[in-house]
Amino acid sequence: MAKFSGRAWKFGDDIDTDQIYPGKYLPLTDKAEMAKHAMEGVEGSEKFLKGVKKGDILVALKNFGSGSSREHAAIAIKGAGIDVVIAKSFARIFYRNCINTALPVLELPEADEIEEGDVLEVDVENGDVFNKTKNKRYKAKPVSGLEMEIMKAGGLIPYLKLKGGNV
Amino acid sequence: MGATIIEKILARASGKKKVSAGDRVWANVDLATMRDFGGPNVVQEYKNAFGNKKVWDGSKVAITFDLHLPPKEEKHAQNQQACRKFAKEMGAKLFDVNSGVGQHILYEHGLVHPWDVIIGTDSHMNLLGVFGAFATGVGSTDVAATFAYGKLWYKVPETHKYIVNGKLQKYTSAKDVILHILKNVKTDGAIYKAIEFEGSTIDKMNLAGRITLASMITEISGKIGFIAPSKEIMDEIDRRTGKKNEPISADKDANYEKVIEFDVDKLEPQIACPHSPDNVKAVREVAGRPVDQVFIGSCTNGRYDDMEAAAKLLKGKTVAPGVRLIIVPSTMEVAKKVVENGLHKIFLDAGAVVPNPSCALCTIGHPGVLAPGEVMVSTSNRNFPGKIGKGGEIYLSSPEVAAATAIKGKITDPRDV
Repeated sequence: MAKFSGRAWKFGDDIDTDQIYPGKYLPLTDKAEMAKHAMEGVEGSEKFLKGVKKGDILVALKNFGSGSSREHAAIAIKGAGIDVVIAKSFARIFYRNCINTALPVLELPEADEIEEGDVLEVDVENGDVFNKTKNKRYKAKPVSGLEMEIMKAGGLIPYLKLKGGNV
Repeated sequence: MGATIIEKILARASGKKKVSAGDRVWANVDLATMRDFGGPNVVQEYKNAFGNKKVWDGSKVAITFDLHLPPKEEKHAQNQQACRKFAKEMGAKLFDVNSGVGQHILYEHGLVHPWDVIIGTDSHMNLLGVFGAFATGVGSTDVAATFAYGKLWYKVPETHKYIVNGKLQKYTSAKDVILHILKNVKTDGAIYKAIEFEGSTIDKMNLAGRITLASMITEISGKIGFIAPSKEIMDEIDRRTGKKNEPISADKDANYEKVIEFDVDKLEPQIACPHSPDNVKAVREVAGRPVDQVFIGSCTNGRYDDMEAAAKLLKGKTVAPGVRLIIVPSTMEVAKKVVENGLHKIFLDAGAVVPNPSCALCTIGHPGVLAPGEVMVSTSNRNFPGKIGKGGEIYLSSPEVAAATAIKGKITDPRDV
């Protein structure tokens, strides 16, 4: 999988799916429409919604994506332009939805050392994270094995198609 | 080394003799479900990827409408229309606007068996662990992929055992137990773990209580919460499914990553304060806080026993002036029993609003949204910021605490009514 480089947008602990993608937009089925509401439920997210650019990196702390099973959360973040999500830890359904939709995720215990606006270089496959702004290197826990194969294929459905359903 | 419940289910479902925590497996899915939330996204994704190809097995697909019943907005109506059309094309079961909360409907209609692997677009699917089924909430891609291939990937979770002992005091119920567990374990305390409950408190807990307990495994970030079905619960499953089912339990020498013991003998009524389900205090610590609305219902506390617990307190009483009390039975079966046994009249006499069964005030799409600064006590399972209206504050409690609070107009320990 490609290496990524981009500016960090920083979020806190326990950002749940209602903050990532407020429930009132759940009836939406258009992915471009969903992307307009990424992180909208987070206090002060106006700056993110206005400023996020393709290639940016989202950094959060513990238990990112807790709560609902809504895949909208992963779809909206990816659609907003985010290439990689780094967090101290992820909630399980969100993490799974990211793999299934091929949105790269990395678990980084030192995520709190990254500040908003820092420029990061990320190798999703081996877990190398380089904070160019602070000149600091980290080793994140990368997605591995089957999950990485699914991500590399472009998500769960492309993976299964590739395998002809023989898994 | 023996196997935990999750290891047994995933071994059988993936055609392996044995699997262990950490293994990746492809498991055959016994039931794939979606709702009017997530469902339309699944239909779209499935159609984009597979066109008009039939699903792998229409008899293993169920669609449960449980949010916008009946729809009040055009988009909701269109979403349900897309699901209905899909159900017809694929020969899937459809539970329409007169049904209720999805997981409860699946169980009531005999679609849930021990050993089953079940998925659905609902993060509280895992409450079906009380029937010995491995049920999980998943995103739309998982459901669409399963519709095509009938199997899904899993990382076999480690298992934690929660031993709960003690006799629950009057006005203390399963909700207080799980809130007490949340207070100790925290919302990230069991990320991707399977939980197995046992102990004297669990042995005595009825089905409704077990559902309450297992439903909130989601809030400690667990994958599934199992309670090995008792003889009574196996009989109930057999009755619902119309056949004899095979029980399930863990092996005596199964491997647990962690064992935690909880003593609930002297547990007082508990309440989760804004804005996290683990911000739990004794009700008496926050008693007196004025409330604007009370909601009794949801997949966590919408069973008949929950309705009965509320009715016992509400009988002959009225809701405090200025407080809205909304009571929503989880399914039509529960609602009918509420009417037949006179609970409905008790609720109406008390001044409650009793809409038709649905997930109700677990999402913002249902009537009963909060205005900024308003406070709600809810028997639901989440109190995240903005969940039922921006600026609203949500406290989570048992039906007993919720009913007592509605009567007094302020957060109230039911022992003080």
